[in-house]
Amino acid sequence: MSQQNEIGLELKGLSKVLGGRVIIDNLDLQVKKGEMVSLLGPSGCGKTTTLRMIAGFLIPDNGTVTLAGKDVTTIGPEKRPSAMVFQNYALWPHMTVFKNVAYPLKVRKVNKAEIEKRVHDVLGVVNLMHHKDSRPAQISGGEQQRVALARALVQEPDILLLDEPLSNLDAKLRVKVREDIRDLQRRLGITTVIVTHDQDEALSISDRIAVMKEGKIEQFSTPEDIYNKPATEYVANFIGSLNRYEGSYSNGQISTGSDVVGVRPEDVTFDSKNSAGAVEATVSLVVPRGHFHEVYLKAQ
Amino acid sequence: MSTATTNQVAKESFGSKDSKLSVLGFFMALPPILVLGTFIGLPIGLAFFLSLGYTGGLNEVISIIGQDVRARDGKLFTLQAYQDVIKDPRFLGDLRTTLLVSLFATILVLFFSIGIGLIQRLRGGKLSSLLTALSLTPLFIPVVISAWALYTFYGGAGLYQTLLKSFGFDVPQITSTVVAIVIGSVWTSLPFAILMITSGFQSIPNALIEAAQDAGAGIVTIIRTVMLPLAFIPIVIVATFTSIGVMGSFTIPFFLGPNQPTMFGVEITNFFTAYNRPQQSIVMAFIVFLAASGIAVMYIWANFRSAKESGRV
Repeated sequence: MSQQNEIGLELKGLSKVLGGRVIIDNLDLQVKKGEMVSLLGPSGCGKTTTLRMIAGFLIPDNGTVTLAGKDVTTIGPEKRPSAMVFQNYALWPHMTVFKNVAYPLKVRKVNKAEIEKRVHDVLGVVNLMHHKDSRPAQISGGEQQRVALARALVQEPDILLLDEPLSNLDAKLRVKVREDIRDLQRRLGITTVIVTHDQDEALSISDRIAVMKEGKIEQFSTPEDIYNKPATEYVANFIGSLNRYEGSYSNGQISTGSDVVGVRPEDVTFDSKNSAGAVEATVSLVVPRGHFHEVYLKAQ
Repeated sequence: MSTATTNQVAKESFGSKDSKLSVLGFFMALPPILVLGTFIGLPIGLAFFLSLGYTGGLNEVISIIGQDVRARDGKLFTLQAYQDVIKDPRFLGDLRTTLLVSLFATILVLFFSIGIGLIQRLRGGKLSSLLTALSLTPLFIPVVISAWALYTFYGGAGLYQTLLKSFGFDVPQITSTVVAIVIGSVWTSLPFAILMITSGFQSIPNALIEAAQDAGAGIVTIIRTVMLPLAFIPIVIVATFTSIGVMGSFTIPFFLGPNQPTMFGVEITNFFTAYNRPQQSIVMAFIVFLAASGIAVMYIWANFRSAKESGRV
């Protein structure tokens, strides 16, 4: 298999201006086939706009969108080999769960027996067979989310697009559903792009994360790299907590200097022996966080 | 034990407060109910009994003045007045005219309002805003003025005929035909229909339309399978209100329609005033009411279906 065939999604020089404001600025991104990539960033950084350009709801002003080796830049969403899960699930309230999931097959004129089989299969995958005759209003938020996912999966798309799919779920359910999504994505080996502003979600679910800022990608790498080797101060600040020092770092010590050194809270150790490089500090605040405590220190 | 006693006292005090509020609420609602009962309910009841031959009591005066009043003559009731109306050859013509005009006017109103609503929802822009603004114009023109304007426009030697004749088209006069009633009814019904249906389409979230697009549906499929079903209630409201409104209209058919057969609104007035046959006019009114009730059942069914879909029942 050639390298070209292994690319599930490629964005090249993508730009978009909306309402006179540059939303996406010359953005490049390559997602491998079967990979799960998160677009992570604060509100207004352009992650949803990027996703909507991949889905075909927005046409880029410049640049190209290539899905599974095919240039789809100017093709409408109805003809793209992608399927999207919307933030509010966008289930049609007048249709049952079965009809919602069967809809993409029905509009593509797939025969009745095939529709029946594929819908049953996918409802089995998301564990919703018992709700196939329910209407969206009669099932819970988590179940609605799974229906939306089933509706996307039944299309057997080349790429699955998820627009903040967990933001409407409560904290506990969010963890469960994100594990379900990750498990499903791995089992089906489907190329997936997920938009999120939740760093925990991005770190736990993704093969790679694209951290976005003002329409550009600041860093595109694995969750480990993003966390441990942030390319910019913005990325370091955005992911996890950070103690920021002005100085220079060498041999495990921070000395006077003009650079910026970031230290993750979990890398700060308690040293009762007052070793070289240790900083004397007093505890100013302790915040219980369940399975750990957040301790705020004031350096002398 | 003391807790139980406290709870009981609290419950009792709440209970008495609730019943006081209920009584207060009842008395606050009573004046409009009495007004409705006296000025609408009572005349309807009297009219209904007059149609069944009850000519005494409060119906006595109208029974003496009116012609061809059928009394029950000691029987429980009589349907003689109903038979008079049904056997009258004018009745079937009027019924056919009323139903056909109501049907065609409703279809046209739905066609235009759904069309304008869809353009507004899917395309937006200046054209749709202009169309919506223009279609609301009849709302600000009294029906009698509109009817007169339509009469002079479509009437003999009106602008419509004169203009087409100058281009060599010899077109028949439209006024005094049922076509003119349909045109007038569409004119008067369109603003409400457009307001209802446009708001129905506007309330459909973008994501529901985009989800259908993402699933592979073209615009016609999206309109058929997503937008029209989701705007079903406003569409049913428009269909029922328009058909009932047209069915009972007077001014438009009086100005623009033919003398015979004509619509029930005009014929009921003719029977009541010109022919002095109040009992027969009441019978006609009840027949129109029955037809309108059938349409109202459709409205209730649509509401029930919607409640079921949204999981409210």
